[in-house]
Amino acid sequence: MTIREAADALRARRVSAVELAAAAHARISRLNPQLNAFITVTAGEAREEARQADAELAAGRDRGPLHGIPVAVKDLFLTRGVRTTCGSQVYRDFVPAADAAVVERLRAAGAVMLGKLNMHEMAYGITSANPHFGPVRNPWNLEHIPGGSSGGSGAAVAAQLVYAAMGSDTGGSIRIPAAFCGAVGLKPTYGRVSRYGALPLAYSLDHMGPLARSVRDAALVLNAIAGHDRRDPASSRRPVVDFVPDDGCSIRRLRIGLPENFYFDHLDPGVESSVRGVFARAQSLGALVTPVRVPDVAALNAVGRVILLAEASAVAQPHLEHREKFGPDVLTLLDQGRLLPATDYINAQRLRRQMCREFDQLWSQVDCLIAPTTPNTAPRIGDATVRLGGRDEDVRLATTRLVRGINVLGLPALSIPCGLGSTGLPIGIQIIGPAWEEALILRIGAALEDGGVGIPLCPAASHP
Amino acid sequence: MKDWRAIAKASGLDLDPAQLDRIAEPLQALEAAFRPLVNRLTPDVEPATGFGLPEDGE
Repeated sequence: MTIREAADALRARRVSAVELAAAAHARISRLNPQLNAFITVTAGEAREEARQADAELAAGRDRGPLHGIPVAVKDLFLTRGVRTTCGSQVYRDFVPAADAAVVERLRAAGAVMLGKLNMHEMAYGITSANPHFGPVRNPWNLEHIPGGSSGGSGAAVAAQLVYAAMGSDTGGSIRIPAAFCGAVGLKPTYGRVSRYGALPLAYSLDHMGPLARSVRDAALVLNAIAGHDRRDPASSRRPVVDFVPDDGCSIRRLRIGLPENFYFDHLDPGVESSVRGVFARAQSLGALVTPVRVPDVAALNAVGRVILLAEASAVAQPHLEHREKFGPDVLTLLDQGRLLPATDYINAQRLRRQMCREFDQLWSQVDCLIAPTTPNTAPRIGDATVRLGGRDEDVRLATTRLVRGINVLGLPALSIPCGLGSTGLPIGIQIIGPAWEEALILRIGAALEDGGVGIPLCPAASHP
Repeated sequence: MKDWRAIAKASGLDLDPAQLDRIAEPLQALEAAFRPLVNRLTPDVEPATGFGLPEDGE
């Protein structure tokens, strides 16, 4: 059931918010011991919020489509009175006094909060093999990673523990778990969703966004969380539109960019054939598939890595006296960042401005780009390398190479599932659009979804 | 070519050789990709950082 279907059922009194929350909690109790998607489950609070949601609906107060819908948030969003760990020893006992902006907005929209989701330590990695709270497991195959850093969010949505989850994306951390778990994941434009109250990884790369069961569900969540927030210095004043695509929306005559360079290099063959199949589907739906050369994305990735290393180490520096509190992979990255000179960071930010201009010119040729989200399907837990195109590649660098650059540009990108690989694990495409064009990429995603692009329900989710 | 192991030691990172390799080797590869980009920058390109004074009404 999607958010829209659940919302309809609530208003038709076929189900209550209390029943939805109880069903979600029952699924969490049954499946979370294997998946380890949650760090904290707030069942008692959720029951009370659901009672309140039912009472409001009965009294004629309708907060909109998220009213009474069970959701959860990555454990880096501050939650008043509920521990917020950031998947780290550093914050193990941190109980915030206030909610993050995103949490405030979800609550204002009537969503029922089921708890806090496991993640890669400090959001600094893509495996979600958390050394302090245990590894999150992929609901399609428990031996595989769910991706990260929002791994708990991806696993919880794919296994239908919640209807939607909040994640954050600094170098692919929403889109990667969405692709690996077979969920929809939206990284909005930088500045569209407030970062206030989300523990930072890298200030100029962090984006907040939803993971959901369908494109329209992701749009419903974006409707609730988007908009200016003066507490976030990067928050945009641009007006918020209704992001939910119409039923029967069309992509006829839209120019869909098919990258001729970079994005199809060194792919798993199953990923490549699945993604190329999406272009055929788009063409059959009336889109104009337009081959296009993209600017130097490898350079963009190098710039992104310098910015990330420097900003993340700056954020974490006060805690680095306690090295024993960090897992080895995160500590290595934090040490690397400490060694970069300030000149490299400044020059990376100069290159970023230059590359944003270069990329901007692309939008005169095409309305969006479609590319694989990741070159591979989810690796096994513990794998350090992945073999792609006849070469072994570091798992983190391979998994982020098609997504990281878009964080540097701040552009919106939507990952949707498009197929299953030879091992039965999900494959995702990302739809990348010009700045502030979330409504456009959501429309393209919804039209593709309506047109049959997608995957079956995750087996873990098929059981009631 | 930068000697990242020496830079790490000079920065006070007291690590064994294997740990130093884990830090130095990725930085070496990143340096090789990043330095040529920096060398082509012209002085007119300003950083994409976010400083700005509040405007009226903020």
